[in-house]
Amino acid sequence: MPLDPRTVRPGEALPPLTKPPITRETLKAYGPAAGDPNPMHLDDEVARAAGYPGVFAHGMLSMGYLGELLHRAAGGVAGIRRFRARFVRLTWPGDVVTCRGTVTAVRDEDGQRLVDCEIWTEDQRGERKVVGSATLALRT
Amino acid sequence: MPSKDMIGRVLSTGSATVTAEHVAAFAAALGDDNPEYRGAEAVAPPTYPIAFMAQAMAGGLETFLELGLDFMTLVHGEQEFEYARPIRVGETLTLTGRIGDIYEKQGSSGTLDFVVIETEARDAAGAPVFTSRNVLISRRT
Repeated sequence: MPLDPRTVRPGEALPPLTKPPITRETLKAYGPAAGDPNPMHLDDEVARAAGYPGVFAHGMLSMGYLGELLHRAAGGVAGIRRFRARFVRLTWPGDVVTCRGTVTAVRDEDGQRLVDCEIWTEDQRGERKVVGSATLALRT
Repeated sequence: MPSKDMIGRVLSTGSATVTAEHVAAFAAALGDDNPEYRGAEAVAPPTYPIAFMAQAMAGGLETFLELGLDFMTLVHGEQEFEYARPIRVGETLTLTGRIGDIYEKQGSSGTLDFVVIETEARDAAGAPVFTSRNVLISRRT
């Protein structure tokens, strides 16, 4: 359910979104679809040579998941005005990503109800990986 | 280390038409089955600009190399999008990418160089559609 523009208030949680576990196939599909040829996400040897224990997920994959969270909260892509993410920790194959968000401010501007949110992804242990913010414009 | 004199320089440019296939494939790779992203009347998911920019933009490699970033430690630290309206299948967008900012911070592992790439997308009428801010971070070694 999208946020209700009549009742939305700071502190309200966005409906959370849990994605299926990330697999190597998820990464093999995302890279070409996003035009990202970086082998760091596909080849363990390359990732190890750069000092990582193995391949890790594209930061933009997690941001894409957050986009789905925002799309649901706004009730459509037209309701997303601004969307920012910081890639704080890496997400690994086998991780189960849950996207969450909280409303931080509600304001009216040019006849629209604008809703600021803090958003983040967390893994199955509750560790935050990608953190950011967004502004939604809700239809009134 | 990157010179602040490079702020404002154009990095890469391009123009392309948004296709239903590209948008649907991107949504599928995210495991997002929303019907709004499918078909001839589709709009694009909010992070689709990253795929569109990769497809549509060319050039700028020499300027990028001139920044002198350490490629071994280079990471995509942060990404921001602002949207004037949704991206629609069938429209042609023109992109201009510039070096928006250059700054440094002291981290626990040494000096970090930050380069902000700002890309602006305009439609055929010249109206803005989206802006992307891509923050690249590299550690001086």
